[in-house]
Amino acid sequence: MSSPLQLTLANDLAEIPRLAAAVETFCEPFEPSMKDGMALQLALEEIVTNVINHGYSDGQPHAFTVALSGEPGRIRAVITDDAPAYDPLARADVDTSLPLEDRAIGGLGVHLVKKLMDVSHYERRDGKNILTIERRLNDPSR
Amino acid sequence: MDITESQLNGSNVLALSGRLDGLASPALDQKIDVLVASGARSVVFDCSALNYVSSAGLRSFLTAAKKLKAAGGRCSFAALTPAVHEVFELSGFLTVLAIYPTPAAAANG
Repeated sequence: MSSPLQLTLANDLAEIPRLAAAVETFCEPFEPSMKDGMALQLALEEIVTNVINHGYSDGQPHAFTVALSGEPGRIRAVITDDAPAYDPLARADVDTSLPLEDRAIGGLGVHLVKKLMDVSHYERRDGKNILTIERRLNDPSR
Repeated sequence: MDITESQLNGSNVLALSGRLDGLASPALDQKIDVLVASGARSVVFDCSALNYVSSAGLRSFLTAAKKLKAAGGRCSFAALTPAVHEVFELSGFLTVLAIYPTPAAAANG
């Protein structure tokens, strides 16, 4: 099994491909289904993009971390940043039943994270935003 | 992501391949703007080689659908891969967007 992996990312969207490649390499030994792999990629891209685009408003470079860990049948990621307190999961749910004209262009990322992960949990601790997500792999009930 | 453009029965077909993520979506937005400005009124997204879409990509698709509709046109989506189909389903896009099994069916829509 893979040992835990910690990535340090800059608040720059150019980090997305590096994140995607690291997630793919980390997950591989756990033999995720294609859906599992995509779900984890997507949830991490959404959360990391939110931190990069909205976390820091001072225009300065910042670093934050993504820690990946796994055990048979399950992968977990913890995203930790020192931006001002913000709980992305507290955002109101998206109404996916509205017609095209009334659909808001936004909020879908967090909606997808909640739908695709079995665990999504936010806490503010020691001046940091800590978001934990987890997905069961190859779950037949999915 | 790669975007390959072609014509099919009066529709502009954009074949998307690879990952439509937050880095790739601005290029697609730009492509749509150019097409609509040049008079395109039927755009088909061929998604048969698109294996990943995030909310940034969904935003691009939704914006494209709204822009084309506002211009009196339409856009449609063809040949979704299972991964992209699942994201469309979870987002409620299967009911608001026109989805077809093949680009030809979408062009004839």
